[in-house]
Parts: sequence; C-alpha cells; structure tokens
Amino acid sequence: MYAYEALPVAEWFRRNRELAGFHNPTRALYQTVRELVENSLDATETYGILPTIYLRINIEDEQKSWVSVYAEDNGIGIPGAEIPNVFGRVFYSSKYRIKQHRGVFGLGLKMVVLYAQSTTNKPVYVRSAALKSDKIYEYQIMIDTNSNSPIILDRKEYPNKYRWHGTAVKVYLEGSWLAAKKRIEDYLKRTAIIAPYAEIAFKGPDMELWLKRRTTKLPPAPKEGLPHPKSVDVDTLKQMVAESRGMTLLEFLMESFDAVGEGTAKVFLEWAGFNPNMKVTAMTPEEMVKLVEKMKQYGGWRRPRSEWLSPVGAELLEIGAKAILGAEAVFAVTRKPESYGGHPFIVEAAVAWGGQIPPSDKPVLLRYANKIPLLYDEGADVARKVVDEFNWQNYKVKFPASLAVIIHVCSTKIPYASAGKEAIAEVPEIEKEMRLALRDAAKKLRLYLSRKEKEMEMFNRYVSLAKYVDEIAHNLAITSRLDKDKLAKHLHKLIETKIGLTVEELVKHTLSLSAAPQEAEETAAQ
Amino acid sequence: MTTRAEFLKRLESWGVKLAKDVLELKEPVMEIPARTLGNTIWDEKARMLKLGPEKMHRRFLDMKEARRFMQTVLMLRLIVEAIREDVYPTIRDLYYNGKHTISFKDPLSRVHRENTWDEQSESNAVIEDIEVATNVLREEMGVSADVKGKIVGPIVVRSQGYELDASKFGETALSLPVNVDGLEIVKVEAAYVLVVEKDAIFQRLVREKYWSQENAILVTAKGMPDRATRRFVRRLNEEYKLPVYVLTDGDPYGWYIYSVYKSGSIKLSYESERLATPDAKFLGLTATDIDAYKISDNYVIAANDRDVKRAQELLRYPWFQKPEWTREVNLFLKKKKKVEIEALSTHGLKFLHDYLKDKIRGKKFID
Ligand SMILES: Nc1ncnc2c1ncn2[C@@H]1O[C@H](COP(=O)(O)OP(=O)(O)OP(=O)(O)O)[C@@H](O)[C@H]1O
Ligand SMILES: [Mg+2]
Repeated sequence: MYAYEALPVAEWFRRNRELAGFHNPTRALYQTVRELVENSLDATETYGILPTIYLRINIEDEQKSWVSVYAEDNGIGIPGAEIPNVFGRVFYSSKYRIKQHRGVFGLGLKMVVLYAQSTTNKPVYVRSAALKSDKIYEYQIMIDTNSNSPIILDRKEYPNKYRWHGTAVKVYLEGSWLAAKKRIEDYLKRTAIIAPYAEIAFKGPDMELWLKRRTTKLPPAPKEGLPHPKSVDVDTLKQMVAESRGMTLLEFLMESFDAVGEGTAKVFLEWAGFNPNMKVTAMTPEEMVKLVEKMKQYGGWRRPRSEWLSPVGAELLEIGAKAILGAEAVFAVTRKPESYGGHPFIVEAAVAWGGQIPPSDKPVLLRYANKIPLLYDEGADVARKVVDEFNWQNYKVKFPASLAVIIHVCSTKIPYASAGKEAIAEVPEIEKEMRLALRDAAKKLRLYLSRKEKEMEMFNRYVSLAKYVDEIAHNLAITSRLDKDKLAKHLHKLIETKIGLTVEELVKHTLSLSAAPQEAEETAAQ
Repeated sequence: MTTRAEFLKRLESWGVKLAKDVLELKEPVMEIPARTLGNTIWDEKARMLKLGPEKMHRRFLDMKEARRFMQTVLMLRLIVEAIREDVYPTIRDLYYNGKHTISFKDPLSRVHRENTWDEQSESNAVIEDIEVATNVLREEMGVSADVKGKIVGPIVVRSQGYELDASKFGETALSLPVNVDGLEIVKVEAAYVLVVEKDAIFQRLVREKYWSQENAILVTAKGMPDRATRRFVRRLNEEYKLPVYVLTDGDPYGWYIYSVYKSGSIKLSYESERLATPDAKFLGLTATDIDAYKISDNYVIAANDRDVKRAQELLRYPWFQKPEWTREVNLFLKKKKKVEIEALSTHGLKFLHDYLKDKIRGKKFID
C-alpha cells in the first residue's frame, strides 16, 4: 500500500523556497494552510472517507509576528514508523504513482517544516494513527538540512482506545495573518466549492468559517495507473528498468506501460528497430534515449486511459457552487477524457448564474487543477483567455451579469505555466477542451435563461389579466346582481385555463427558476 | 316613448349576459359595433353617416383588451347605478366616480398598481362603446356632457316652465340645456339659422346686431359641436324648416366641423339620424374665397403638415365626394394656404356682414 522513496536535496530547497511558494510571511502562511489542507484531502477522499478537517490559526507572538497553524483530519493516518520520514525527508512521498492526487512532489510538508524551523526554530508537532492502528503516535520533528534526514526531538505512543484514525499537525512559523486572511478565506471557500463533500471548520484569530458538508457523495476514487509510452522521459525509464527484474523488452512494454498489448508492442518494436527478446537491463544509455524518442514519435499507441483521473463530476460541482457562491443556478459539464503528450486529462466547467454573485462586467473565474484552487497569476492562465474570448452574447448573457465560471483541469500531469504552479499553460489540446466545456455549460445556461424568460412572460401574462379580476367581478356583480366571489373565482379559472397552468403551478415554475438557492440538505458527519 | 326603466333593463341584461358566461366558464366577450372609419357608411339617400355592420369583440382574456374590458364593465355599473338611484350624472361625474387605483398583489407578493383610467377620453370612449353595444343612447341613459352651445335670435323657448326669449339677452346669449329635446320651442320668427364655428365671431355678430338686421338665429358650439347643439340645429331645420348656414375657418378642420353638423361624425355615426342636418349649407370660408374676396396676404396663413394630412383624409371621405368639395380641397392642397374667419376684416370690420349677405343672397354656398 505504501511505497516511500528518498531524494537528498533538503538544503537546495531551503535556499529556493520561493519556487514552492514560501516567498514571504504572507505567502508562507497561505502556502502552509494549502499544504496541510491538501494533504488532509488526499488522505481522506482518495480512500473513500468523507473529509472532516479542523483548521486553526493562532497569533503566538505579535511582536515577532509568529503564528501557529493546526490542522487535523480523519484520514488514513501515517504508520508510526513512517512519520519521521514523511515529515523530515524531502521527496519522500507515497504519491509517486500515476494517479491523480493533489500532492505530487513529496515536498509540501517538508517545505512547511523547513520554513517553520528557519523562522521560529520550533519543531513540527505531529499526532497520527493509521487505519485500525491500536496506537496513536506523537512526534516532535525537525529536519537536518545537511543530511536530508529527520531529527526526532520527542516521541510518544498512546493506546488507541476509540480506533481514531487521522493526522493532526501543528507548526509555528513567521506569518502575516492580516495580509493572508483574504487569500486563506478565498482558498477555503473555493476548496469547498470543488469538494462539497468535505466539512471544513476554520478558526482564525479574528474570524470563523464553517464550511458545512453539502453532500455525502464522493467522486469515484481514482485508480492507480501505469505511464503511457508517450509520457515517459529518460530518467523515469531508467527507474522503471531498475524495477523490471530481468524482463524482456516485449514483456517490459506490456507490463510496465499503459495501453500496450502484445500486438501493439511487437509492431512498435519492429518499427523502432529493437529486438523484442532483448533483456531490458542490457540496454545501453544510448538505446534508452532512442527508445524514449521512438515511443514519443510512434503514432500507433492507443490513447492513454483515464481511470486514474478523478474529476469532480457535474453534480458535485453544481452542489458546491450553489452552496458557496449562493448562485441561483449552476450548470456543469464533465468532458470526455483527452490527452496531450501521453498524459490523460479531463476538463470540467461550470457556469454559475445569479443569486448572490455580484454583478460585474466580466465573469468571475474560479480555476482549479486537480481539485486545487488556483488563486494567483490568473492573467497567465489559459482559462482566463478562453473565458475572455468566449462569445457570451450567443448564450443570452448580457453584462454586467452575475456570472461565475469554474474551470477544472484534472490530469496526471498538469502543465503549469510557471514554477509557482498557479496558472495552466497554453496547451492547445487543453485550451480546446476548455472551450468546448464552457460552450456545453453555457448552452445549458442559455436554455435555462430562455426558459426563465418564457416563464416570466407567462407569469406577467397571468398578472396582466388577474389584476383586473376583482374590479370586474365587483362591477359585474352590482350590474347583474350575481355573486361577486363566485364571479371572481370563475374569472380566475378562466385565466388558468387560458394559460394552461394553475396559479400554484405557475408560481412553482417561476419560483423554481428565480428564487434564492435552497440550502443543500444537511447530512451528519459519518 | 321608452322610459328610463326600460333602458335600464337593456343595460342590465347586457351585464347579466357577461356575468352568466363567466359563471358557465365561458370567456366573456363584448360584441361592440366598431366605431371606425372603416365601419362608417355614407348613406347616399339619407345624406348622412351611418354605423356599418362590423363588430369588434372585446375579450377579457385578451391581454391587449383586458383593461378596456375592465373599464367597460366599470362604466356599465356606474351608469346602471345612476339610473337605479335616479340621478343624472355628466360624463365628467362618471369619470371621477369611476377613477380609482386598482392594487393587485401577485402570488410572488409584488404589488401592481394601476388607475382604472387616467384621462377622461378613456371613460368617454367606453360610454360610447356601451351606447352602441346596448343601443341605448347617452341621452337615454340620462348621462349628459358639458354643453357648449348657445343661441341668440328671434326664438322663444320654454325651459322648466320659464319662457326664455333669445332675442332679449343683450350682449349675452341663451345657453342650450343638456337635454334639448326637453326644450319646448314656443315661437320662431327667424328667416334662417347661422351656425358660427367660433365664439369670438358669434359675439361680434351679436354685438353688431347682425341677427336682428337679418332676422336670423345665431348658433355657436365653440368649435367641434357637442351632441346637444347639433340636435338643436337639427330640430330648427326639421321642425321649422329653417335654412341652416354654417360659417367656419377656411381650413380642413373647419370644413370637417361643417360636415359634422351636416352629415354626422365618424365616432358617433350611430347618432346621425338624430343629430345630422343634411340640408345645412356651407357659406365659407372656402379656399376660393382667398382670391374671390381679395384677402390680403397679411391674413393668409401657410398650411402645416397636419393641415395637409387632414385635407388628404377629407378627400378620401365618401361624403366629401362632391365636385365643389374636391375642387376646394385640391385648391387648398395646391396653394397650401388657409384663412380664419377674421381674415374678412381685410376690408374693414363691417365686411363680414357684407360677405355673409353676399353668400346667402347670391346662393354662393356649397351644399
Ligand atoms: N494528513 C496526512 N494524512 C496521511 N498521510 C499524510 C498526511 N500528510 C502527508 N501524508 C503523507 O506524507 C507524504 C508526504 O507529504 P508531502 O505533503 O510532503 O508530499 P505530497 O503530498 O506527496 O506532495 P506535494 O509536495 O505535492 O505536497 C504524502 O505523500 C502522504 O503519504
Ligand atoms: Mg502534500
């Protein structure tokens, strides 16, 4: 179930922390929250657990602007023996497999620990129990940056009487709460939109935010997968060869890659000029480079499979956006899987309309990559370009409008535009899918808007007749000496027959289209 | 004679029919003869305008008609109640009695407010609709309008027992009552009736004693004549065989006023048989008069677009299809010039008298 590997570059990353988002006390606090929350989500939803996350930020020393961040989840936990490495060894991760996670580098936690100890010289406090573990472990850990290894300051064990599982982490760091507050709030809300099945309770020094669980439905967990031949680089190939235990080239292709059957493998090897029976371990470095090149060039591969992707799905997106944005209506689509350079990807889009979305001259854009909200560098993101170039007029939208657009790309490899991992690059395949996803969602919006227009028209037609009923009944009753109430009742009936709907139906239709969103049903935490 | 009670029955039964339709869940539809140009028939023989057979259908369930439907039902009730209570309202009274704000709260709790009517023209129009739909005239309902008509001249009438001699009003005049049919004509010694469009000219002719010199009855309705004035002129012509001459401004509007006295109006064509005076003759002013009487350019006014449009309409009316009228209207359209009656002062104030006498003695009028 776990496969942990180590790479020795702690020192290098300490010196290059801006790459990982720890530029300054503001970004560092925001980034710390992100790393912890994303690890918690990975440790829960990926394993079929409905996430419940407590997050607390305290101001510890106003003078030195020291803050503490505490995060606790109900995830699968970390086996006691692994805790020191997970927190103290850079590039130590269980997520190197080809499967969609939020975390990918095996770096996040360590950057938090490194930044924390370099600013406050305090260790990270960890408490964790793995699933079914009869013990709870508590550690205080720091990182030795020279040897890329953990320093254990304290270690305790407790009996796990109630079979608790999960992880709690607390770090002390220099951070600017006031400057980061808005971003953190935004980040948590946007996370709740894409993960409405999560319960997130946040307490900051001067605010509280309780993002309730809106549904108990989890997106299907991604399966683990093998790399597509087109997506492999030389380093990865070397690693794979090392694990190949004496297979032939033919076996190696069939066993270690996605979408390669015996037929495909034979045809490819012949085309590329390799001997299928050659032992992979016998390949020279030059042959390895050639194999990678040929695999990239070959046109006969099947498309990469997408089972290890985990899109949110239209239903969850709609629930999330309605609840958090207070939208009147949300229309979401999940496109079919596509691929670029051997990496499968799926684009999802949602348009949220009306309600509490503040009207503005262009749509509010909420970007996500593998369920992670992207908050910075919006201008550099291809999604912004797609949304700006979109012809909203064709979809009955006139600005200023209360309109928000959600675009989510999930992939085994997100093509980021910069090292900050905050914007998606202009990959033609992805751009095209974004366009199509947005178009599909906007079509649904258009249908809704024109239906609403029609309903409103019908309602107005009703009003334009019904407003006279009383006056007419009153006067006719005096002239004819017949019963006024009966006349009024019958006049109303005549209107209903004419319109083809009863007033109740009419109201229901009109309301269902224009009323404030109903609170999604509350469901108890499991 | 039909009594007011019988008219009431007719009005009520119209309302009852609408109400019964509602109770039977049939859409209530009012069938109302159309008071439009298209449904106005020129009766060549009777020499007057009559209402054609065309009917319009005012439906409650038609969004464009619902408001008018409501207004008609409201007015019907006001009239019915007035008769039941034996009161005699004016059309202005009915306008005020019926005017209020309807307030409707729709199922979404939005409140809509609307006045039953805003202008008196709206309430007047539904009164006329009810008249034609039920075939009960306003006078028969006991509903009156402001009467603008007044007369001066050798005629004695009796009103509520008082004898009034229209030759003894000095510089003032005898105002016509609402119900001129109730006015008993005691004695008439006039040679003819002169209808003057404008009050100012009427007053001048009174002051200058034109009527006594000519032994004529002077009538004015201050512009477009009301029904009572038209009815009275008709009676003088019908009952006393007095020739009727009409004097208006020399423009399409004045000419149309003449035709209303003579043939009836488009809007009230159903009333022509009571109101029209087919024998009435037009004295002037005509377009030809401008040259014929050498009217100075100082008095000649350039016609505007509205005058031109009105003239073109006159040319299309069947009751203007006489060579004299086509010639006059076309001359007007050619020269695009109009004159008011006052223009006759071009040759001194007294010239008006000479003009009138010249026209009447020389039979220089248009029939
Ligand atoms: N809250 C948690 N619950 C269970 N396991 C955790 C938790 N946080 C971290 N881990 C484990 O520790 C490993 C290292 O985490 P870390 O955040 O350093 O890297 P990552 O999440 O794999 O990648 P990234 O650098 O993108 O965050 C994870 O792969 C996971 O196995
Ligand atoms: Mg992580």
